[in-house]
Amino acid sequence: MEVACVTYLFYITKQMKGSEDSLGSLEHVVLLAVMRLADNAYGMTVRREIESATGRDISIGAVYATLSRLDSKGFIHSYSGEPTAARGGRAKRYFRMTSVGQAAVHNTHEIIHKMSAGLKGLQSI
Amino acid sequence: MKREWRLHVAMWMLSRLAAAQEREALVGDLMEEHALRATAISSAAALKWCLQQVCASALPLLWGRLRWATGMTTFGVAVLAYSAVGAVEYIVNRAMSSSPAAGPIAYTLPGLILPFPMVVLIAYFAARIRRRAPIMLGAIMLLMITVMTLTSAETVPTWYRVAYFLVGPAAALIGSALHSASRIQKAQQ
Repeated sequence: MEVACVTYLFYITKQMKGSEDSLGSLEHVVLLAVMRLADNAYGMTVRREIESATGRDISIGAVYATLSRLDSKGFIHSYSGEPTAARGGRAKRYFRMTSVGQAAVHNTHEIIHKMSAGLKGLQSI
Repeated sequence: MKREWRLHVAMWMLSRLAAAQEREALVGDLMEEHALRATAISSAAALKWCLQQVCASALPLLWGRLRWATGMTTFGVAVLAYSAVGAVEYIVNRAMSSSPAAGPIAYTLPGLILPFPMVVLIAYFAARIRRRAPIMLGAIMLLMITVMTLTSAETVPTWYRVAYFLVGPAAALIGSALHSASRIQKAQQ
């Protein structure tokens, strides 16, 4: 009975979350940057990675706001790094992707792949 | 000297805009990048870049904080609604226990059904204040019922446990659906 209750609770909570499982375009890009950087993903490296890979100049505030949103959705988790002199003694906040985040990226790619399949204008991409 | 003063003001502004948990890392990141750019290009260019970053970061950071505040308000409304549901259940149980025809008050069908319309109504009004509050109310109810089920030593009939698990959250979702329906109806008029 207890197991059934707990399973039901998780099922309903997952259903209620609904749109929270989907990724916005900036969230998608930031998650991919975190994935590429692996153990060196913190605010400024994420910003640099996006800039160098896409040429898109994105503000550090937008990166942090997105990282915070992804953290609250459970797609990434953060932990404190070491403080350095170059940072005025301030610690870095590193981010790492969770399995939920990986599933979200996979789902988003699958949707894009399915929706773009067979479209004439996208065949050369 | 003037350049350093500007940099301090920029850092201070950014720290005020950021949420407390990300303040230290955000300002540290900006200082690190400033130092890198000052060495690689020039200190004037590094300062200009920093000021641009502060200006461009203002809106996203404020929006992020607003979203957090909105979430907290929704949670507050849901907790208030849950307290109201608790009060309704208490009143119904008290009324039923004073009735001579009633059996063991906690495990009767009327004890489950009677509060139902009131919970729907509470959820409806919660949705009028915050659209997502009934969803959070349903989640709080499920959590509390699970905790009670796991910790209670009482012998409760299985049908009652299952029904108790379904009725409250269902009422919250119906209240939310009613509110959505009334909004759609108003929009169509």
